[in-house]
Amino acid sequence: MAGTNPRGKPKSRALVASAAHGGKKKKGVTGGAGKRGDRRGGRHGPRLPTALRRQLDALGPSPSGGSDEDEEAGSDEGGHDVYEYEEGVPEEEAGKNGRYDAVEKYEYEFDSDASDADEDVPSDEGEDMEEDDAGEDEDEEKQIRILQETTGMPREAFDGGKKKKQPLELPFQPGVGDGPVTIHDLLNNIQGKPGYSKLRKRLQQQEKKPMVVQAPLAKVEREKLERSVVYQQSKKEVTKWETLVKRNREAPTLYFENDLNLGVNTIGAIASEFKPRNELEKKMAEIMHSTEMMEAHKNDGVKILELNKIDVEDVRERQNRLAKMRSLLFRHEMKAKRIKKIKSRTYHRMLKKDKLKAASADFEADPEAAKEHAMKQEFKRAEERMRLKHKNTSKWAKRILKRGLDVQDEGTRAAIAAQLQQNALLTRKMNSTKDDSSSSEESSDDEEDDHESEANILDKGKEKILKILGDDNEIPTSGVFSLPFMERAMKKHEEATYEEARLALEECDESLRKLEDGNTKENGDSVKVTGKRTFGPVKNTNKETSKKQKLDEADKNSDSEYESDSAQHLDDNEINKLDDVQIGTALLDDDEPQDDLFKSFDDIIKNPGPKTTVEVGMLADNSWKKFKSSKGNGGSNINSDIDKSTVKISYMSDQKLKQLDHNSDSDSEDEMVEGLLTISDAKENYKIPSQADLIRQAFAGDDVEAEFEKDKLDVLNEENPEPEKPALVPGWGQWTDIQHKKGLPSWMVKEHENAKRKREDALKRRKDAKLKHVIISEHVDKKAEKLLARNLPFPYTSKDVYEQSIRMPIGPDFNPAISVAALNRPAIVKKPGVVIKPIQYEEVDPHEKPDEPKRVIQRAVPNPKAKRTSAKQAKTIASNKRK
Amino acid sequence: MDSAKPAPEQKAMEGGEQEALDEMEKKVYKYSRGKAAYLGTLRDKKLKGQLAAREKLYGHSAKAAVQTEKWLLPTEGGYLEPDDEDLEKTYRYQQSSLVGEVDLSSSRKPFDMILPLLGPYTLGYTGNGRYMVVGGRKGHVAMMDMLNLELIKEFQVRETVRDVAFLHNEQLYAVAQKKYPYIYNRHGTEIHCLKEHGKSLKLQFLEKHFLLSSINSFGQLHYQDISTGEMVANYRTGLGRTDVMRVNPYNAVIGLGHAGGKVTMWKPTSVKPLVTMLCHSGPVTAIAFDRGGHLMATAGVDRKVKIWDLRKYEVINSYAARAQSLDFSQKGLLACSNGSQVEIFRDTGGQDYKIYMKHRMVKGYQIGKVLFRPYEDILGIGHSMGLSAILVPGSGEPNFDTFVDNPIETSKQRREKEVQSLLNKLQPETIMLNPNMIATVRPSRKKEKKTKKEIEEEMEDAVETAKSIEFKKKTKGRSKASKRAKKREEEVLKAKRPFLEQHKENDGRPDKKQRVGDEIELPKALQRFAKSRQ
Repeated sequence: MAGTNPRGKPKSRALVASAAHGGKKKKGVTGGAGKRGDRRGGRHGPRLPTALRRQLDALGPSPSGGSDEDEEAGSDEGGHDVYEYEEGVPEEEAGKNGRYDAVEKYEYEFDSDASDADEDVPSDEGEDMEEDDAGEDEDEEKQIRILQETTGMPREAFDGGKKKKQPLELPFQPGVGDGPVTIHDLLNNIQGKPGYSKLRKRLQQQEKKPMVVQAPLAKVEREKLERSVVYQQSKKEVTKWETLVKRNREAPTLYFENDLNLGVNTIGAIASEFKPRNELEKKMAEIMHSTEMMEAHKNDGVKILELNKIDVEDVRERQNRLAKMRSLLFRHEMKAKRIKKIKSRTYHRMLKKDKLKAASADFEADPEAAKEHAMKQEFKRAEERMRLKHKNTSKWAKRILKRGLDVQDEGTRAAIAAQLQQNALLTRKMNSTKDDSSSSEESSDDEEDDHESEANILDKGKEKILKILGDDNEIPTSGVFSLPFMERAMKKHEEATYEEARLALEECDESLRKLEDGNTKENGDSVKVTGKRTFGPVKNTNKETSKKQKLDEADKNSDSEYESDSAQHLDDNEINKLDDVQIGTALLDDDEPQDDLFKSFDDIIKNPGPKTTVEVGMLADNSWKKFKSSKGNGGSNINSDIDKSTVKISYMSDQKLKQLDHNSDSDSEDEMVEGLLTISDAKENYKIPSQADLIRQAFAGDDVEAEFEKDKLDVLNEENPEPEKPALVPGWGQWTDIQHKKGLPSWMVKEHENAKRKREDALKRRKDAKLKHVIISEHVDKKAEKLLARNLPFPYTSKDVYEQSIRMPIGPDFNPAISVAALNRPAIVKKPGVVIKPIQYEEVDPHEKPDEPKRVIQRAVPNPKAKRTSAKQAKTIASNKRK
Repeated sequence: MDSAKPAPEQKAMEGGEQEALDEMEKKVYKYSRGKAAYLGTLRDKKLKGQLAAREKLYGHSAKAAVQTEKWLLPTEGGYLEPDDEDLEKTYRYQQSSLVGEVDLSSSRKPFDMILPLLGPYTLGYTGNGRYMVVGGRKGHVAMMDMLNLELIKEFQVRETVRDVAFLHNEQLYAVAQKKYPYIYNRHGTEIHCLKEHGKSLKLQFLEKHFLLSSINSFGQLHYQDISTGEMVANYRTGLGRTDVMRVNPYNAVIGLGHAGGKVTMWKPTSVKPLVTMLCHSGPVTAIAFDRGGHLMATAGVDRKVKIWDLRKYEVINSYAARAQSLDFSQKGLLACSNGSQVEIFRDTGGQDYKIYMKHRMVKGYQIGKVLFRPYEDILGIGHSMGLSAILVPGSGEPNFDTFVDNPIETSKQRREKEVQSLLNKLQPETIMLNPNMIATVRPSRKKEKKTKKEIEEEMEDAVETAKSIEFKKKTKGRSKASKRAKKREEEVLKAKRPFLEQHKENDGRPDKKQRVGDEIELPKALQRFAKSRQ
């Protein structure tokens, strides 16, 4: 029935219509398409009673497809009313009768003419009707127009006539009932009217014709079409944002400065805004804010403030006091620290002694403790008396004594002496301890070293012994002692004691000697002072040791000294020569011991205290001076020696160097010191260079260049080593003669050539390849490598671009203050606490210059240009896509 | 008339503007530190945009710097300029006549100090040029405030003094004495004795790195960090004794002049010299570096003074003159001393150094050291009979930046600067020939292959060690001679294996096994069964 000319309809129109339907369902957000759809929907026969439609058409400005644009824009034409009316009707209908179920609508929406053909019969008929109606309308329209032209009266006058016609048809409508109005119904209505037969004929003809119904499109195709439509739509949506996004992307900095005023959020502010909510809080507030409390608080505060008043003087005093205390504490602490660190044995020994003394003082105060101490001491003494542990009774002591103390080394002797002393201390009679201890205490008071105290004791002992020895024991001539046997016995006894005393003396001497071995000089002195009698062996050893020492020193000197000690130099030339040979590091190494030695020499005589530059220097130098002057002509000799040596080191003539700079120390060292004495030295030292030297100097150039070339070659070879010569693999192809005949395998030769070429390339690439007189090291400094970038940073693809981009320093030291901030600004500027909102649409001129200094994304006050609709539109797109 | 006049005026104005613009452009170029990279080749649009924006900022910055320059650099240096180039010569101008011409404060600056007793003098200035330390060969050390011409401290060390050098400020200075260098403070108190340096002949202080470097009589170069006390480096130059040493102020590389006519350049992190140049055919007597770091002047016994371009390592100019001491001033004047005469050269454009001034000391005075005073038009001269200072117009930088050096700083400023400079201390690794290399991309380094010989040697060593392994004594026939031999053999093989593999890798020999099927094209029907090559 239907499908009069569905094929002829342009596809696009159908598409638009269908899309429009969808739009209408969603209450027509997008203007144009939706409205057009409305109108078309209106043209569908079955939906509107014909009469109504006619009336509407009569009201409408132009029935033909006319100005879509006008309507789209919702302009102020007369059609406006009509539009509104139309809008209303389909909605109502949709509400009333359920003819428009969802499925149907879908088919309408996106289908082409084919879907039209697929439609229900009624709708098709409607279409036909529409055609007819259109024809009629056209006729009427024409008629009206002609009338209008001829009479010049307004259109409404003629329309009225038409309206009057309508009631003729209207009454039929209720008779038709709910079913769809067919063309036959309509035909019946106009039966007997002129033109009816003609119409019927046409209808019949049409009905007779075979109906051509297009098969519905495949689902895939349909969906493709749908998607393409959606795509078009969404593209339009998205492209709108493009410029905006581009602008933001290109901006060096984005600002999010919304909510600039974040409000007060200090604790105080929050507290001030606090309002009590629950019971407890309310109660608390009541109490807190009660007048009494407030009053009390106020008063109290005042009182406290009054109390706070302090005198400035007091404060200062207090501060001073505190500072003093602090400094005292600090000092004490430092002292304690220092003392704690001391490792000296002597010091600790003294400390112990002090402690003991303090303890003894304690004992005086505290009888209990004293008693205990006394008990302990007594016990010790008793033990000693019983065991004689310290009286050379041990196996070790016996052995040593047997071998003789003279042969022993110092340590052993000292140990033996110490043991004996301990024994003496412990076995001393209690009564005699008093005076002895006092004397020992005295001595220990002013002595620093324990060794020395020991020595003192020994000395005293010796003196006593000597006194005993020296005393002629007067034998009482009367009484029992005068008896002859008594006399004999006495003599014997005397002899025995004498012998004993002598032994003891010897022991003493030995121990003394050992004690003072360090500084032999004093030792000798002391011996001289104390000993009226001298004992052979003792003296001998003394001399021997001192001699030995001297010899040693001399040796050391000659070994170590190089340029300073002229005497030594004169003495042993051999050593000097040796020095000449191995000058390099040996000299440096020797330097220090030599120095030490010097110091020890001088410092033995003088105080070895902390070195104040002037004094020590002077003293040292004075002594030196004398020494040197005594050796008159030594200096020149040394000089020549040194010259030789230096010549050996550096192949250039040393003398030349010397005359060039006054710094070469061979002369300076000698001329040095006490300006007055040696001023003229510098001038005397100048020598006219010998002929040989002059020649060498004149031809120095050639030599230098050759040398340099050699050096360069060495460096090159080191940094780019030459490839190895190809060698036969041992045992490979050698036992037949083939290998020899063939020569090396080709791959080996090739490899070698490759390596050679590579080396040459490398050499050519060197920076100093073309500079004959320069060697530039190609060594890679591993420590400096950490300062270089390992590889190109991300966005960069070219090394040059990267390196150029970092050429400018961006710090405040290198840029004017006005540009520093811009140079160092981060990509996004945002205050903490600012909420970043989704982007808002904003009209952007795509051709505007992008060097606007600030790119504000989010303003404190929303941008007036921003459109709220954007979000909505996005939603529609999304929904479309879903469909 | 009215109409005629404005035209040339306008023209003149335009010309003036043009000139000003040109000058501005030149200055902008200076401040933009080279050109931007060509961005056309960049594919990444985003990066391109970013870089373009950056460049624009740089441009703004440079322009702003130029505009502020006239406020920050208010004074310009002057020179002695002859009225008539042909007749008048600036080097004929004597000091005595010069002193009368200059302003009062400048006329007070030159002096002659005759100190005949304590030998040839050497001197050093602080970075800001305010203080001077002098060292007499025979132990006289003195420090002076040159602004007020006050003696701050003077003392006698009673030892040879070979060189003096200020450390980062006037509070400390180092003196190379008979055996060791010592560090004294401004009151003359000995603070340190640097024994490790040995008998040093010359001292140089690297300000930015806080390194004190010295060369001693054995040709050993020492670097010591004076802020931590750490000995940073100690290298043997192996080129004999020398006392010709200077630091390049641009990159803190130390230049040494040697007896063989060589000049070597050193940094603390390299055992070998960075650059070795053959500069003279006789021993090098003096060396000096320009402030910009690209010029070096050397003097040798071969009666030549040469000026070098350190970017190309080529001689720019060579003059026949003797010089015992050389120094570049801040503005690029070059002073050479020869006997009792000082000559000062000036760049007349295109690095053509012409004699600018001459000064002759009293006959017989041997000049030991010449040194320009920073920020002043003064040349300090240390000679055998004391010290002198002469006026050299146009030698010093007329404008000082108080963030860099302040000749009139207060003690508080000095303290702050000390802290600041300690915070900004550069590590010794940062010393390199081209300091702009920092942060650039490291040049790709090929992994160096070991040569066959080396591999063989290593293998032999490994085999030896494997052979010498002592086995445990085991019972039940497990340590029979045969078993042991077997074990040993196994060990040796195990030791050899990695080296053999290496050997194979290194061999250029083509692989013997040829893969079958790779080259052969299968019939189409069978192709689908072939393994896909991927």
